[in-house]
Amino acid sequence: MELATSSSSSPELAAALHRLRSTLARLKAELELAQSDNTSPAVDHLLADLGDAFSHLRGVEVAAFGLVSILVVDDDERLAELTARGLRRLGYEAEATDALREIRSSELVVFDLSLAAGLDEGARTALTAARPIVVTGATDLGSRAQAARLGASDYLVKPVELGDLVAAINRRMAEGSR
Amino acid sequence: MAKLLVVDDEPRTAELTAELLRRAGYVVEVAISGTEALERVRLNSPDLMLLDYEMPDMEAPEVLDTLRAGADRLAFPVIILTGARHAPGDQVVGIDHGATDYIAKGTDRQVLLARVRGALRDRASETRVIVAGHLRIDQARGQATLGERALKLERRPLQMLQLLASRPGEVVGRAELLERVWGTNYAGFEHSVEQAAHQIRRALKDPAWIETVRGIGYKFVVQP
Repeated sequence: MELATSSSSSPELAAALHRLRSTLARLKAELELAQSDNTSPAVDHLLADLGDAFSHLRGVEVAAFGLVSILVVDDDERLAELTARGLRRLGYEAEATDALREIRSSELVVFDLSLAAGLDEGARTALTAARPIVVTGATDLGSRAQAARLGASDYLVKPVELGDLVAAINRRMAEGSR
Repeated sequence: MAKLLVVDDEPRTAELTAELLRRAGYVVEVAISGTEALERVRLNSPDLMLLDYEMPDMEAPEVLDTLRAGADRLAFPVIILTGARHAPGDQVVGIDHGATDYIAKGTDRQVLLARVRGALRDRASETRVIVAGHLRIDQARGQATLGERALKLERRPLQMLQLLASRPGEVVGRAELLERVWGTNYAGFEHSVEQAAHQIRRALKDPAWIETVRGIGYKFVVQP
């Protein structure tokens, strides 16, 4: 049957679909209410609902297709974007940023160690929980120890070959969810 | 301002995407089929194309293949817009066909604009003139000279030299060279990088310009 899914992904898929349907229902209700009152709906609410809907759609895709999102964090914005683009071309959803932001569920983090010093306690805890793939220009023991303290699942030395990064991503995925 | 071509078989989607880009200051044309896109490119080549993956008359790979017309690289960046998301690996098909980037439909406007800016920025950096010591590289004219002497370099070695020379003293990894010069991520092309480095050194008649950083890549070192 076309609609059959593996039993392991079904609960996550059902939950993601539920969230998507709930959000769409809220959006529809807001529009129906505005129509019956003959008023204009609040555009910011509608946009927020749509943003939620896309986020839940993403959850559906993650559950259905095993998609992985990669967040590439590097203070060299050009390098971060180049890496993210390379990953996108290999089928990964990848986003580049020059500073760590909130880490979403089912997101893998590629983190440039030079940014570690600027992390506050909350960001450091979240990053450590995400077991990032750490990239660095340094190979000294101190850097390795710093990466280990950040819960690094892998440690790659710059410039990182895309193939090596993908291998590290696959190893991290094989570990399962954090 | 850069000229963009938006291709989508749903006219309203195409026009809305175009309007969003126009408001960011771009000059935007719209095509609502692969055939029309190819015709527009023939009449007036854009600086960048945003191409819907799934269209009734032809899918994106076919459009890309026709645009390349036997060349191994597209003349301008193409960003694929896709509504369908699949497992990692599916988009490898885009590498073969030369797409620059992918964006899922519904992605935030700011992200779309950032990706367009990024692709255009890379294109712009490929067209400037670089001067390093007595070496002068004019990518737009496809020429490099050392003093008065014109260097005999094929297109790829010339692009590689320009990329390295744009960041003197910095190690540029093989993966980045493959991505930026050859438009591929495949490690199978690595021998091409070595051959290009060899050709550059021979043309410059001094191997010291291009330093091999073993296992990593290459570094441009300006010579007196």
